[in-house]
Amino acid sequence: MNPWPVVLLPALASLAGLLLGRERRLSRAVAVAAAALTLLLTLIAWAVQGEEPVRGAGPSIKTGELSVPLDVVSDPSRAAVAFIVALVALAVQVYTVWYLVDDDRYPVFAATVSLFTSAMLLVVHSGDLVLTVIGWEVMGWCSFLLIGHWSRRHSARRAAHKAFLVTRLADIGFLLGVIGLAAGARTTSLEHVVAFWARPAACIDGGVASGTPLDDVLTQCNAPDDTLRALFLTLVVIGVLGKSAQLPFQDWLADAMEGPTPASALIHAATMVAAGTVVLAAVFPLLAESPGARWVLGLSVSLTMVLAAALAFAQSDLKRLLAWSTVSQVGVMLSALAAAPIEAGPDAGLFHLWSHAVFKALLFLALGWAAVIAGGTAAYALRGSAAAAPLLRVSLLFGLLSLAGVPLVVGGLSKEHVVAVAWEGAVHDGPGLVVLVALLTTAALTGAYCTRAYLLLTAHVRPQRSSPRLPPAVQGVLSGLVLLSVLGGLVLLTDAFAVGEFSLTWVVITTLAVLVGVLVALRGGFDRDPAEVLVPRFIPLADRGLGADAAYRRVVADPVLALARFVSFLDTEVVDAYVRGTAVATRVAGRAGARAHRGERPGSAVGLVLAALVLLGLAGVLAWS
Amino acid sequence: MTDPALVGVDAVILAPALLPALAAVLVLVGDAGILLAGAAALALLHDAGGGPRDTTVTTALLLAAATGGAGVAASRDLGAWLVTLELATVPLVALVALRGSRTAAHGALTLLVTSVTSFALLVLGSALWLTATGDAAFAADTVSAAWGDPERRTVLVLAVTVLLCGLGFKLSLVPFHAWTPQAYSTADIGTAAALATMSKVSAAAALLVVASALTGTGPDAGRVSVVVGIVAAASMLLGNVMALRQDDATRLLAWSTVAQAGWVLLPVAALSTSGLRASAAYVLVYALATMVAFAAVARVGTGPLARFRGLLRRDRLTGGALALALLVLAGLPPGVIGLVAKVVALGPAVDAGLWPLVVVAVVAVVLGVAVYLRWFALLLGEPAEHAPAEGGGGGSRAVLMLGTALLVLLSALPALLLDLLS
Repeated sequence: MNPWPVVLLPALASLAGLLLGRERRLSRAVAVAAAALTLLLTLIAWAVQGEEPVRGAGPSIKTGELSVPLDVVSDPSRAAVAFIVALVALAVQVYTVWYLVDDDRYPVFAATVSLFTSAMLLVVHSGDLVLTVIGWEVMGWCSFLLIGHWSRRHSARRAAHKAFLVTRLADIGFLLGVIGLAAGARTTSLEHVVAFWARPAACIDGGVASGTPLDDVLTQCNAPDDTLRALFLTLVVIGVLGKSAQLPFQDWLADAMEGPTPASALIHAATMVAAGTVVLAAVFPLLAESPGARWVLGLSVSLTMVLAAALAFAQSDLKRLLAWSTVSQVGVMLSALAAAPIEAGPDAGLFHLWSHAVFKALLFLALGWAAVIAGGTAAYALRGSAAAAPLLRVSLLFGLLSLAGVPLVVGGLSKEHVVAVAWEGAVHDGPGLVVLVALLTTAALTGAYCTRAYLLLTAHVRPQRSSPRLPPAVQGVLSGLVLLSVLGGLVLLTDAFAVGEFSLTWVVITTLAVLVGVLVALRGGFDRDPAEVLVPRFIPLADRGLGADAAYRRVVADPVLALARFVSFLDTEVVDAYVRGTAVATRVAGRAGARAHRGERPGSAVGLVLAALVLLGLAGVLAWS
Repeated sequence: MTDPALVGVDAVILAPALLPALAAVLVLVGDAGILLAGAAALALLHDAGGGPRDTTVTTALLLAAATGGAGVAASRDLGAWLVTLELATVPLVALVALRGSRTAAHGALTLLVTSVTSFALLVLGSALWLTATGDAAFAADTVSAAWGDPERRTVLVLAVTVLLCGLGFKLSLVPFHAWTPQAYSTADIGTAAALATMSKVSAAAALLVVASALTGTGPDAGRVSVVVGIVAAASMLLGNVMALRQDDATRLLAWSTVAQAGWVLLPVAALSTSGLRASAAYVLVYALATMVAFAAVARVGTGPLARFRGLLRRDRLTGGALALALLVLAGLPPGVIGLVAKVVALGPAVDAGLWPLVVVAVVAVVLGVAVYLRWFALLLGEPAEHAPAEGGGGGSRAVLMLGTALLVLLSALPALLLDLLS
């Protein structure tokens, strides 16, 4: 099925929502209906999707030597990812109706969510680098709007600005990389870009086997420049690290918790932070051939996933715990792309994206409910709040089980596939071994912080608060997500994700790692906060994200501001001095001239003439001799 | 203006068959400019009124000056050149003096002294020229011959310098400009307009006669550029700087004349045929715009610039014409022809590699923008409560309308003027 309707429908819904303005009921109907229709469309598209990619022609533009086809494309894995994006978007829209029931700016929020969904679907289905960049930037803008939705709060404004600035900074790399790739291939069509930059392996191997010198072989095979490819891909990877909140750009995502919970669910589950995985999967054949870019990506995500999991364990705010768990899990997704050898393909990472979208949306929406019951997201406020409703307890249980990567639930399955490709990569070359070690450490840490979150949420506290009644639609959404987090693994029975087999040995090893984490977390018993038992001194440090915010200011903001002050000084004091100087000089010259012409007598004129005559005569004659 | 005397002078001095094509074109266009300027000045003088005897005398004087100007453009021998140049100047001294007031007499005296000094210099220069070339005509071949001999060359350079000084009076070049503001402000507006336009075109024509004889002197001729360039640069800078300080409309126009005279001389410094053309084009554009400005001043009345506040709202015709003229003088669109004239004037200097002069000219452009926009901004302002009523008769109105029409036409189609001269 042509993917254009899938992309355009939410965009139109967003436009309609904005035009309807304050008409709350209408905009609600438009937003939810459009999300549902989009989900239906993606489901149909996924169902009819064959093995072959389907292309939706765009308004092709030819500018000089660059051809810009603006095509969209759909294949089995893209269709599956688009489905999960649409599903999370629908869940968020339904949930928002209940969550923001008292908010006067609900219509704007719903329209922004629709636009956000459309941008993500555009990135998923993009067959053209220009479309990817458009979707990428629209998402950055929408995330700014959503995080800063409660713009009357200073902290929300600051978080929105921080998210925008940090991701924009990384986007410099993304844009440069994309431009470089497109300029080399003389087209922005993703297919042709990949074909242009791909290493003609068969040709080179054949040439080397026949004994020709390597340089000649490379020329004969018309091979692209390895260094340039590695450079451009590294630039793209830097952009992805920014959007996905990986080191050194990790700190914006935790602050982004200032946004309303549905916005967090959307940003964390299926859009924004996951977009980098989609983009890198699209250029995976090139990435796998560029060791430099793989190492940058592999090292960054390995460090990030361990660090973020450790920070998640010690957060005193459970929403921020989920935020850091997202950072960690996105690191897991990207590690599959960094470590996988070219034969394994990118689908292990995409599958983890898929499953992460399910359980992270579930966790955020459930935690939002719990926070409404408890009146806050801090750990002490949320203690025991899961007891308010059985559905809440079930949702949190299955969400955390998935997050911890327990076998058979969807999160566990996808993690096993990531570990499997990392092992394959470790056997080959690249950062596979580092990634594998980081994955196992993360598995243990994730088990620990999931245990901690569950213990806190289900702790026995005496005064039971009455829970607000949840509308049936929202209950349905949560139930659906719980079901999907249990049975989501069945998606592997379709041919959506081309993942290989995983060995039982690794299942046992990772399960043991998770168990170690769980047992360590349980050392203080069932009724105490494991973080306070194990690492009490680390909690304030973790709440500040290890001081990354201050480091950003010192390393980036302060030097840039100093430079700006210096340039401004140069402009006003040095450059403008010349401009002011001309004015002063003119005024002085005018005054001097007026003084010289004060006496307007014939005699003075004659005197001037004679003096001038002598001067000019001298000048002329001297110039001659 | 079909005065038989003018035709007669042309017929006697101008021998078209003997002139190169370029010179003939320059003569014809220059004469047309002088006659038009004379007619316009006459119209302004007529507006000023006066008794029938007065009118007869002023008309006769102005026509005599026009005759001299037309003659000097066409003259090729030293004698005719000297006589016609004086004929173009002396009647204007009388015109200034005719006002009869004490200040006018003072101005006329200054003008007379300078014009006599100028004549003395011109005669001296002509004598040196004759000595150097052995030819009583401005002819390229004898000049080239004189150039080849180092001793005669020195004399020739001195002759050029002295002639330039003499012409500097007529053109109001620094440092021979001192009479200009005084004469303009004491003379009545028609006479001032004649001094600023007709007299300047005549002087420029006389200058081009000398310069065209020098264009064929060979590679070493660049050294004449030093003398010419110093005068041009000084005029542009001093004229603009002083104009920036003036609060009286006529005096501002006088200093603007000094600055624009530098621009007329600028392309001549390149001593090339394209330079001569550019100079002729520039002086014609300048004269046209200045005449329109004087006509507008004649309608509003001389005096402080504040009188012009809000003129564009009070009187669309006068205000619009003056605004366009000022923009042309500043070289800013929509006064495109002013800009084109400046670019065309800079071209030969750039080609000849006279970079210091070009830099000075660019500075002068910036200063000039300030000079004219200062006045222009006043036109746009809110009119004062007790704004003086505009006077002026049909003559100034006709000059305004015709001049503005020409400026608009040339701004729309600058090629008309440039093609005419090439």
